[in-house]
Amino acid sequence: MDVTINKEESKTIVVLNGRLDTTNASKFQQDIEPLMEGDNPDIEIDCTNMEYTSSQGLRLFLMLQKSVTSRAGNLILTNMKPQVKEVFDITGFSNIINIL
Amino acid sequence: MIKKHFNPIQQKSGEIIEFLMSSPDMPKDDNLLFKIRLSIEEAVENIVNYAYNDGVGWMEVGTDLENTGLILSVTLKDAGIHFKPLAKPDPDLSLPVEQREIGGLGIYLCKKLMDDVIYHYEDGCNILTMKKKIAQE
Repeated sequence: MDVTINKEESKTIVVLNGRLDTTNASKFQQDIEPLMEGDNPDIEIDCTNMEYTSSQGLRLFLMLQKSVTSRAGNLILTNMKPQVKEVFDITGFSNIINIL
Repeated sequence: MIKKHFNPIQQKSGEIIEFLMSSPDMPKDDNLLFKIRLSIEEAVENIVNYAYNDGVGWMEVGTDLENTGLILSVTLKDAGIHFKPLAKPDPDLSLPVEQREIGGLGIYLCKKLMDDVIYHYEDGCNILTMKKKIAQE
């Protein structure tokens, strides 16, 4: 999986490409750790090319959401594929993470 | 039907998942495959990470078809801790973000994505069987 992070003035844009699974969840965690601190907590994650997520991936989205919420920021996930969205729906994550 | 014994299982999740997904019993439909793969990944990860205290142990996995190809059955067996995966209550999905727990979603996903998840403890082994209808009657 490839992760691209672009810090803009008003928000950070993250682009995910590929599968988020057990083999690369710890790499993704390292990638997003810098986003869990600082005073620029608005984050948009482009999920157009995110093919899959396991509970390991969900765990990291929840950590990020908790971090952003605690700093009064916004996390938005965009263009999620229906199969991946279903995993967020089943686990109730659609209720706590903003998916557009 | 396929079956394989893996020992050791440390760092072998990927290999075990790919072995099961390459079974000729698997359906062709992408949406079904997505759900089956995710369930298999969650179940395999649970065993690799938590079944054995010191991480050293074996796992036997396999697939089979039942009801003349109507139902796929995936079985995972290990001799680790008697872990009763289905005894854990489902996560409370109505909790606000601050109170949602990080973790505990794996088996819940299996239960939701498969049609049946059955657990037995037999002769000192955990046996988890997951079933999914993969064809029309």
